[in-house]
Amino acid sequence: MRSPFAYAPRRGPLQAASPGAAVFYLGALLVVAFLYSSPLVLAAVGVAAGLAGVLACAGSAVRAAIKLGLVIAVPIVVVNALVVDRGETVLLRLGEWPLFGQVNVTAEALADGAIFGLRAVVVMIAFAVYSACVDPDRVLRALRPIAGRSALTAALISRLVPVAAADASRLRDAGRLRGPAAAPLGRATLIRRLMAGSLDRAVDVAATLELRGYSLAAPDTAARAKGRSRFDHRFYLAGGLVLVAAIAGKVIGADGFHAYPTIEIGVEPATVALSALVVLTGLAPGRRNA
Amino acid sequence: MPELAFQPRTAPALDIEGLSYSYPGAISTLRDVSLTLAPGEFTLLAGRSACGKTTLLRAACGLVPHFHGGEIEGSIRVAGMDAIANGPGQLASAVGYVAQDPETQVVSTTVAAEIELPLEMRGDPATSRARAVEEVALALAIPHLLGRAVDTLSGGELQRVALAAALVTRPKLVLLDEPTSQLDPVAGDELIWLLRRLNEEWGVSILLAEHRLERCLAAADRVIAMDAGAVSFDGSPRDFLAWAQQADAALETPAARLFSLAGIEPLPIGVRDARDVLRRGQGAGGPPAETCEPARSAPSLSDRRGFRPGDPRPPASATAAEARNLWVELSRGDERHDVLKGIDLKVSRGERVAMMGRNGAGKSTLLRALAGLVDPARGKAEAPGGMALLSQNPSDYLVRERVGDELPGDVGLSVLRLVGLESAVDADPRDLSGGERQRLALAIALAGRMEGNELPGLVALDEPTRGMDRARKHDLQELIEGLAGRGAGVVVATHDVEFAASFAERVILLGDGVVIADGPAAEILSGGWYFATEVARILDLPGVITPEQGVVHLDSGELR
Repeated sequence: MRSPFAYAPRRGPLQAASPGAAVFYLGALLVVAFLYSSPLVLAAVGVAAGLAGVLACAGSAVRAAIKLGLVIAVPIVVVNALVVDRGETVLLRLGEWPLFGQVNVTAEALADGAIFGLRAVVVMIAFAVYSACVDPDRVLRALRPIAGRSALTAALISRLVPVAAADASRLRDAGRLRGPAAAPLGRATLIRRLMAGSLDRAVDVAATLELRGYSLAAPDTAARAKGRSRFDHRFYLAGGLVLVAAIAGKVIGADGFHAYPTIEIGVEPATVALSALVVLTGLAPGRRNA
Repeated sequence: MPELAFQPRTAPALDIEGLSYSYPGAISTLRDVSLTLAPGEFTLLAGRSACGKTTLLRAACGLVPHFHGGEIEGSIRVAGMDAIANGPGQLASAVGYVAQDPETQVVSTTVAAEIELPLEMRGDPATSRARAVEEVALALAIPHLLGRAVDTLSGGELQRVALAAALVTRPKLVLLDEPTSQLDPVAGDELIWLLRRLNEEWGVSILLAEHRLERCLAAADRVIAMDAGAVSFDGSPRDFLAWAQQADAALETPAARLFSLAGIEPLPIGVRDARDVLRRGQGAGGPPAETCEPARSAPSLSDRRGFRPGDPRPPASATAAEARNLWVELSRGDERHDVLKGIDLKVSRGERVAMMGRNGAGKSTLLRALAGLVDPARGKAEAPGGMALLSQNPSDYLVRERVGDELPGDVGLSVLRLVGLESAVDADPRDLSGGERQRLALAIALAGRMEGNELPGLVALDEPTRGMDRARKHDLQELIEGLAGRGAGVVVATHDVEFAASFAERVILLGDGVVIADGPAAEILSGGWYFATEVARILDLPGVITPEQGVVHLDSGELR
């Protein structure tokens, strides 16, 4: 079965855009996710990335990313609540734990962990949209001028997700075929094995790239021209607006969130405006003006 | 007289002098290798697993040492270019390389983009790229695949696409590392003769590493055999057979084995050659080889694992697996299609069954349906006594750093003992040999599915002989016989006709999702052309599929 994260060629502005424009747009959303801790802004980035994915016909990738993101987010929240001993609102006193010492679960640590978790989900969504909508062949060619001497870098950037998706499917099948008395294939073991295996396979792919002449001299300028699209300006504009607004918002203090010592969530007009703008840019892959 | 404008190429396609090489942190892999391939020569590279064939091919295309690192001595020149001074990128126009696993050789999402990539990297204009892609696709009979996404292709189709990408720059030398290991007999034969045609018509030099020598010996001009990193033989195919008869019986082809058992000389390099000799009755009598397997001082694997003829064995009628009107539908890209179309079959406990058929016929899907990995669209698939399935890549089962951690406790130890790996309990699975990894994966699939010492009703292996030399196949054959001897029905999906003849008592032939033949191995493997052993194709006698069976008829003189 095909992975929901695998690129599928479709007719849409995001797929038609050059890799540079698509990466700039999605990258701008990620920059906001890493710059801001306001749950409102983070949620807006998630909605924008999800909306972009749905409009680009990659709804299944968005849904899979949310599921996977939640799998990562929940442990983050739990671990943060257990290991961070800050915050004034104690919800649970769990006593002395080996290695941890006195463990108190505070509302502030939970909220702080939730922000980290939300950020993880948002990053997963944006990455899923990139993986499902941006043609890795074009990424490979676009990378050549800057990573021509390192086929491994190019292979990791452009092929790691498809290769890992195929490997994950096979490993899950093999996990189901393990006998009941064999050590179970836990999620952590699967991820560790997947990472190690994917890197090995990326090395093989990089060897193939070397054989195809990836590290040879100058790239074909005609091919680069062919890579440009009439939709590029739309994504550069959306990404640029997001970046400018995010930096301006940061300067005027639109990121009103503090977890400690008590939770403070600022919902200033600037925060709301930035969030609204970010959500609106999620409409960029829409077909209305295509 | 005016001078001819055409100058034949005189630089050797490959010239290696005194080459020694070690991977980083490893012992010497190649030792003082010297050889020269003339332009237009078709050379077969033979040798047991891990003898250095793959490393030699990697050195000839520049991956060694440029990509893999390590220490190298000596010189390598490809079409006049220094392969140690130039990297694989610079050599790309002179040499094409096709590795064993096609999945790691595709770097693009569509077939057309994959084939076009080397030309694009070289900076060829779009018009010449389009023409070159079209021509190579026609030559390899894959123009219908050009628009397909690579993740929708079968293994055989992927292998052809990888070959097309290697050939599209029209290199002077093409290196192939076991290209037929994942192909069915039809596709394998087609690929070898396609290479021969490209070799003759385009003048491409071919260096082909293969274990299934019977498949390609007749197409080769020359054979180079390797042993422990050094060249142990270099000569004509016929001389190679005479050498292998004395030096390493594991490298003999079935036809050569048949003739040597019957004391007929010269040894034949292929089916046509053998039939010619027999038809003319010109074979010179030589001393016949021993007609039984050479005596072994060490106990066999099955002995070591405690499989004994006297072990309790369930009645042959007990069902190991059954499929009734089984239909399975799978997606290919955005389309869904029927992979299995109303399969009806039953496998009994203790039976040894080879399941064969061309790539995409539905063999793996049938095994996966029996194991419950895919849901039938209609009908039933069941293995009443339980089932252990070893899929195509045993490494997928190995996820921990210690064998004992994969199989903990007494149950783990007992199943390790069953496959003869109890002494490797503290080893890292990655340090095991290919055959040991396969047995460990089988142990993982079996663990907890045995009641006491009783195996599950069905043990299935999907393409277990990929990349195996004949000695390792013999070990696997013993393992299969041991499992069946202990009462499990054993089904092996395989493309390897000779291996099927060695272990199977029954062969099921699938074609496009339906059973097209089902019967005794001797009958099925002697009744056709592609799915028939080399001996069956030579003698064309019903039920005669192995050299040991064939020699009886040759000795009786009925064919001479």
